[in-house]
This record gives sequence, C-alpha cells and structure tokens, in this order.
Amino acid sequence: MILLLFIIPILTALSIWVTQNRKIINILNITGAFLLLAVSLYLTGEVMKNGVLTTGYLYNIFYFDSFSAVILFVTSVIGFLVALYSTGYINEEFRRNIVNINKTRVYFSLLHAFILTMLLTITTQNMGLMWISIEATTLASAFLVGFYNHKKSIEAAWKYIIICSVGIAFALLGIILLYYSSVQSMGKTVEGINWQFLYENAASLKGSILKISFMFILVGFGTKVGLAPMHTWLPDAHSQAPSPISALLSGVLLNTAMYGIARVMAIVNKSLNSNLFTGRLLLILGIISIGTAAVFILVQHDFKRTLAYSSIEHMGIIALGFGLLTPLSIFGALYHIINHAFTKSMLFIASGNVYLKYETKRINKVHGLIWSMPVTGIVFLMGIFAITGMPPFSVFSSELSIITASFGEGHYVIAALLLLFLVLIFAGFITRLLGMFYGKPQEKEVRQGELNYTGPAVLITLLAIITVTGLYLPVPLRTLLSAAGEIISGGVK
Amino acid sequence: MLNRYLFMILQLTIIILLAPLVNGIIKKIKATAQHRKGAPVLQLYFDIYKLFKKDMVVSGNSSWIFRATPYIYFASIITAALLIPVIPRLSSFSMAGDAILAIYLLALGRFFIVLSGLDTGSTFGGMGSSREMMISTLIEPSIIVAIFTIGLNPSVASTSFKAIYSGSIQLGAGIIHPVYMLLLAAMFIVLIAETSRIPVDDPATHLELTMVHEAMVLEYSGRYLAIILLSSSIKQLLFITMIVNIFLPFGNNFDFGAGFVLSLLFYVLKVVIVTVTVASIELGSVKLRLFSVPNLAALAFILSMLGFMSGFVFGR
Amino acid sequence: MDRLMDVLNLLSILILISAFILVANKRMNSYIKTFRLQSIFLAVIAAIFSLYHIFEEGRLEGVIVIFFLIVSLKVVYIPNKLKTITKKVDYKVEKDFFVNIPISVIICCGLVIMTWYVISRVTDINDAYNSRFLIYSISVILIGLFFMISRKKAIGQIIGFLVIENGMFMAAMLTTSGMPMIVELGIFFDLLTAVLIMGVFVFRINESFESIDINKLRNLKG
Repeated sequence: MILLLFIIPILTALSIWVTQNRKIINILNITGAFLLLAVSLYLTGEVMKNGVLTTGYLYNIFYFDSFSAVILFVTSVIGFLVALYSTGYINEEFRRNIVNINKTRVYFSLLHAFILTMLLTITTQNMGLMWISIEATTLASAFLVGFYNHKKSIEAAWKYIIICSVGIAFALLGIILLYYSSVQSMGKTVEGINWQFLYENAASLKGSILKISFMFILVGFGTKVGLAPMHTWLPDAHSQAPSPISALLSGVLLNTAMYGIARVMAIVNKSLNSNLFTGRLLLILGIISIGTAAVFILVQHDFKRTLAYSSIEHMGIIALGFGLLTPLSIFGALYHIINHAFTKSMLFIASGNVYLKYETKRINKVHGLIWSMPVTGIVFLMGIFAITGMPPFSVFSSELSIITASFGEGHYVIAALLLLFLVLIFAGFITRLLGMFYGKPQEKEVRQGELNYTGPAVLITLLAIITVTGLYLPVPLRTLLSAAGEIISGGVK
Repeated sequence: MLNRYLFMILQLTIIILLAPLVNGIIKKIKATAQHRKGAPVLQLYFDIYKLFKKDMVVSGNSSWIFRATPYIYFASIITAALLIPVIPRLSSFSMAGDAILAIYLLALGRFFIVLSGLDTGSTFGGMGSSREMMISTLIEPSIIVAIFTIGLNPSVASTSFKAIYSGSIQLGAGIIHPVYMLLLAAMFIVLIAETSRIPVDDPATHLELTMVHEAMVLEYSGRYLAIILLSSSIKQLLFITMIVNIFLPFGNNFDFGAGFVLSLLFYVLKVVIVTVTVASIELGSVKLRLFSVPNLAALAFILSMLGFMSGFVFGR
Repeated sequence: MDRLMDVLNLLSILILISAFILVANKRMNSYIKTFRLQSIFLAVIAAIFSLYHIFEEGRLEGVIVIFFLIVSLKVVYIPNKLKTITKKVDYKVEKDFFVNIPISVIICCGLVIMTWYVISRVTDINDAYNSRFLIYSISVILIGLFFMISRKKAIGQIIGFLVIENGMFMAAMLTTSGMPMIVELGIFFDLLTAVLIMGVFVFRINESFESIDINKLRNLKG
C-alpha cells in the first residue's frame, strides 16, 4: 500500500511527459493528485488505528508512524489543492502566451516528481535515503523555481541550488557521523542506518559523536528549513517561483526538512537522556529566525517576498516549539506545522491570482483588490490576519500553545522576545499590505471579476479549513498529534 | 686530530670540485631535450678558469661592499659547506654548528650579494635585489619548519646534521612516510627558489626585466664573477646534498677503506638523480610571474606545516 | 592491516594536498585538472578497499561498484562536461579575488588546525587512525566550502561543491568502510544530477548576464 504512494506520482509524471494535449495533461494532473490524496488519507487512517506501519522490503526501508502521518496528511492535501489550482494558473498563462505547451509539460511532470520526492522523505526510515530524497527535492524544484527565464528567476534558482546543495552536503556529513557512531557501538549491521534501529539502541551510542552529528544535521537541514542565518535563498526562491510552486515550497517542503531535524533530535535526546543540548540550539536558531524575519518584513516592497519572510518566521516558531521540548510545546509545534501549511498555501495561491491580474509583484502598484477580485481579495485579507496570529484562525491556537509552554517553563526572556517579534510582524504586515485592498484600481486595464473557477474554489476551501480547525480540533487529529509528540521527545519528560 | 683536518679538506675538495658539474648536467639535459647539442658538461669549469684570467671593470660609484662581497659570499658558503657533510662519516665540524647555522650562513652571503646589487646604483641591480629579498623572505619559513620537524623526531632530538643523518639512516625504508614525503616536496620547492631555477627565476634569460639573481650580479666581471659563479653552484650543491642525505639515506654509512669510496660513489649517484629531477622540473614548467611566486611560497609553507602537523600533532 | 592503514593515510594526505593545490590555482583548466587528480586518489582508495575485501574475505563487496562509479563519473564524465562548459565562456583565468591566493592558502591551513582542535575535543573517537581520517575529510570539506565562497566565477562554485562531495566520500569510506550500497548509489546519482543542473544554469547565466561573474547577480536584495 505504501508503494502506491510512489507509483502514482511516477506514473502521472511520466504520462504527462509524453502527451502533448493540454486537456489530457490537465485531466492526468488532477486524477493523479486526487488518487494520491485518497491513498494518503487511507494510510493516515491505518496508522491511527494500528500504530506503526512497516513493510519488509529492502531491510525495512519504509516506516510509517504517527509523525509521518501528520506530515503526509499535510503534504497530500496541499498537493491536491495546488495541483487543482495549477490547472487554472497555467491555463491563464497559456492563454497569454507566457508559457507554451512544452513548458506546460515540464511544469506538470516536475510538479509530480517534486511531490514524489517529498513523499519519499517522509516515509523512509533509512537516514541515507532520507538525505537522498531531500537533495532530490532541491533538484526537482530547481527548474520550477527558475521557470520563467528572467534574470531574477535565474539568479533566484542559482542561489537556491548552490545554498541548498551545500547545506545538504553538511547534513550528509552529519548522517555519516551518525552511521559511524552506530558502527562503532554496534558493529556493521545491515540495519545500522535505519531510524528505528538507532532509536531503540540510542542508549548505547556515544554521546559526543552524536552531538557533532546533530550540529551538522541541524545546520544542513536547517538550510532547507530556512532558519536564519541560512535563510538567504528563501525570499528569492519563494518569490520568483510561480505561485502554486511557492505554495508547495513554503507549505510543504519546509515541513519535510523540519521532519528530518526532528527525527535526528529524537535519537539524540534519547541517547543523551536530556533535552538541554538540542533544545538550546533549536531555541537560539528559532529566535534568530523570527527576529530576522521581523526586521525584514518591515521594509518590504514585494508582497510575495513578504510572504516568504513570514515563512521564515513561522519556521522559527516551529523550531522554538521543538526546542522547548515540553509536551505542550511539541504539540503546539506540530499543530503549527499543519496550520502554517494551510494558511501559507492559501496566501500564496491568492497572491498568484493577484499576480495574474495585475502582472506585478510590487505592493505599491496593486490597488483595489476587493473591488476587482472579491473572493481573492477577501481571502487574502483574512489570510493576512490569519498568518499574523489573529483568532479565530488556527495559527492563533498553535502560537498560543507555544507561548504558554514557554512561559510555563520559565523562559521569560524568550517569550518576551517572541511576543515582541510577533507584534513587529503584525505591524509590518498591516502597514505594508493593507493598502492593496481598498479603493479602486488606479491602472486602467484591470477589469473586474475573478480569473477562473479553480482559484476561488481552492481558496474558499482553505479558508474554511483554517477557520474550522482554529475553533475546534477534531479528536482523531488531536490523538495523532499527541502520539507524534511522544515520539519526538524521545520519552524524556 | 689529523683525521679531523683530513676530513675537512676532503669535504671541501669534493664539494668545490663537484659543484660546477651539477650546473653542466642540468644545462646538458635541457639542451638534449630541446634537440640541441648544447655546451659540454664541463663548461662551467672552463668558464671559471677563463674568467680568472680576464680583466675586471669596476664601477667608480661603488664602495668597498662591491669589492668585498665576492669574497664574503664565498667564505660564508664554504663555512656552510663545512657544516653539511656529504657523507655522515665526514661530519667532523658539527660541534661548531647545526642546520640552523648553515641556513643562516647562506642567508649572510645572500645579504651581501643583495647589498652589492644596490651598491653600483644601477636600476637593474636594485630591482634584482628587491625581488631576491622578497622571494627569500617568503621561502624561509618553509625550510625552517621542515628542519624543525625533522629535528623533532624522537630518535633525532637535535638539529645538528650528524644527528639528522643518523636518524634518517635509522629509519631506512621508513622514510617513505607521509610526513617525510611532504617535507621532501617542501624542500624541493625551497631548492628551486633558493637556486633560482625555473619556475621561480630563469637562469638562462638575457632579458634584464625577468632576472632575479642574474640582475644582482650583472655588474661583476673577471675574477669577481668567477668567484660568484663558483659560490652559487656550491650553494646549489649544498641544498642538493641536504635533500639527498636527509631523504635518501641509502648506502651512506660504510666504514673506512673501500667502503668509504663506495659511499662517496653512492653520494655522487644520488646527486645526479636529484639533478636530473630538477632538470625535468625545469623542462616541464614555465617561469612564474613575479607576483605569482608568493602562491608557490605559500604552497611550500603549507606542505611543510602539514608535514609537521600530521607527524606530531594529529593523532595525539 | 597496519600497512593498509599506512597506505590509506598516505592517500588521504594526498587528497588534502590536492585540495590545497586547488586553492592555489587561478586558471579554470587547472581547477578541472586538480579535481580530476583528487578523484583519481579517491578511486585508488575505493580500489584498495575492494581488493582488500576480495583477497582477505574472498567476496565481492559493493565497494567495487563505487570504484567504477567514481572512475566513470568523477574522473571521466564530469571533468569533460565542465571543460565543454568552460569552452563557451570567455574568462579562462580569474583576475580579481576577494582574498588573494597566499592568504587564502594560509586560511585553509587555519581551517585544518581548527578541525583538528574540534575533533580532539570529541572524546569518543578511540582509534588514532580514525580521528586522523576524520580530520582530513572534514578539512577537505571545509576547504571546498572556502573555495566556493572565495571565487567569483560560477565554475569555481561548481568545483567547490564537487570537492565537498569528494570529502564526503572520503569520510564515508575511510571511517565506516562504506555505507550501505543503496545509500552510496543514491548519493552518487544525486550529485551527478546536481552537477548537470548546475551546468545548465551556468549556461543560462552566461546567456542572460553575458558573463559568469557571480557578483553581477545582485538584483534581488532586501
């Protein structure tokens, strides 16, 4: 069953590559994404019932527990919605002759390949294979980031490839050291690199080598997550990519890299039997990320770049939640992963509509959004409030859990800094972006009316999701999150 | 006692007689590789003899430094030659000084040559002097680190050449060790830099703007020039002797009588091998721009530093 | 066994030396030649491991696949591909540097010392040989990283990335005598794809910006 998760995207990507007809491409795209959604929901249900799923292929290479289920759920839902939106987006661009049929083929098949690599990261327990798939996500999305061949896109894609590949190379060194410690303590076994094996025998691994390995992995995967000071590729890549791809990058890819960090953190915590080392590092990186994002958001001119910096901020909050390592804060961080994913994708999709209509990314060239595109405008406005943490949206609940946990632990300085930065970000968003919505458009060619059907449909779905989960968290989801939290904390209270 | 004086005279004779031969071999190899006949191998002997018979032309603007330098150069190099034995049996003078003293005696000679280049007031002399000082300043740390590393070896534990040679002989085949190979590479680069060979400086150039060593001695003629030529070739032979005896300690330690002559023959053979290597390096490279020489010097420094660290720092 | 360790020690020092030679160069053809030399040393290490497994343990271990991959990809295919890329570009020698070459060589020596210091603080590496191998591998990785950030041309960044990967393979082979086969194969193909994609982008940069000077990529700021 797990294998279906991979076969479906591969088949979709390959079949899109060979057709030339746009209609068939659209149908294949949506069917593939829908099937993927169905399979992953089924697997999530299985995990909630039975606990851990493994298959015995290739020395237990696939492993699926509740933490994987959380991330898988997010990935497949957003993947489906993005695929749906992409049809509308690419159709519009095709109509304006910005892309031709070849580029459409490239776009859709790379989209599914990209989703495939992210799924591979989540479901494998072989740490080496996890590294390979994270590097593969960089490679699969490189051409997507540099999709439009402008100077700015090429620059963004080059930065993306170089910085992420170098960062990931350091993570590989960390994984080699992890494997070295397992070989040193337990001899060369064929299971030596599997997460479950390392987790169970964590007590016998040598502490100092694990510390160095964790530092390398934190820096390496942290580059992919977008933690400062390794975040410099993120604003460029996320703002220059086409909007559906930005939604995928921000909402899903950053989570999978965080998944990698959390897995290793679980092993290191269990081995050292204390939270201090990993917790402190994550706290520091988290606070620096939030601070950097706050400072840069205040001076932005480009709305997609603002959204990208907000991704850095939220990843910093998640890192902070993982770093505090109390059950409440880990629950909050996991919940925040879900909420941020949905909210940020919604915002990027809305901004995609804005870009299509106004053909610019600069804030001061966009006016009267609510007049020209009512659904997109209102959703975008609600989204701005949601992402900065207003009730009743879901981001508020998860941020509240993390702040409560931080006060509860006695980290007053951290909590105070966090609140200060959140206020700064709220101020930045509102002062910068609010001018886009009201009034009438000052440019002549902007006509009234939404551009297509899929855009508003997706947007309204996402808005509903984040409002509902903000007010009421379904019980199955809650148990899933708690189970995942237990795995991460490694049994250390 | 008589043995000691005999040794000193034997050492000096061998070195003075052998030195111009090295130059001749290098030139002959280069000529053959370029499909020329070239000068005979003993050419430098004939040149020195001819120069001794010629008149000298001395600039009127020069001071006593100009007239004294050839003798000071020769004296410092000969004193250094007494400290660097050609075979370990001849190390009779080693109580008076060690490797550091030898290196700095050579530096003394170089200092006076540099001054004499400035002495006549010609532009080319000054240019050659400044270039020579730059190159030798950059290359000196490498050789000092290399000598210290060799001296740090627990079985040597001193920097006198006698102890160094016996340490190398003790190692025997163990000389093929990364530490010593790194130091060998560093010393080769130092050899090339100190004796003004390609890629640092072209000894056969006639363009004054590309000269380093030649430019300093441009004003010398007759007897003075003969002494300086001889001293330069002795300096070259001294560096080669250092490399040969530290890094190729095979067939060195025979006893008196026939064994003595045998070890001398081995020494000559090893010198010829190193000479051929230097000639091949000369054939295979081009002369570096002056401002690229610091790159080469940095590389030599790194090689000796890495040799030191991997021998005595890592793995402790 | 001890002779084996000595030979491996020698080869790893040679790889480190070739990393230094890379930093001391400024011509693009020399970059590619030095990288090729370094990959040859790495291939020799892989060959030694596979021969050791064949003679001592009498079976064909997976390392021989790695040997063939290293020889075919890193020694033959990638340097040739890089040569074709550099043919299309105007600049063959780097003229400006952020840090001039002697100082960058000395900084790299400082990196080696720093690596030694960090590894000597890790108290659990008992084997003297293993700690040396780790020091050399991590130094090669850091020198590759330094090379990447100190060169202004895009080719320098690709070569720096490749040197980092060489260091990774060195670390994997020497300290753990080979990671599981799937992992090594996957890493190989990832790197190959990464270099191919980087090559495509260098071509695009050359077309758009009329040069491959990375400093010209300054449009996105703030």
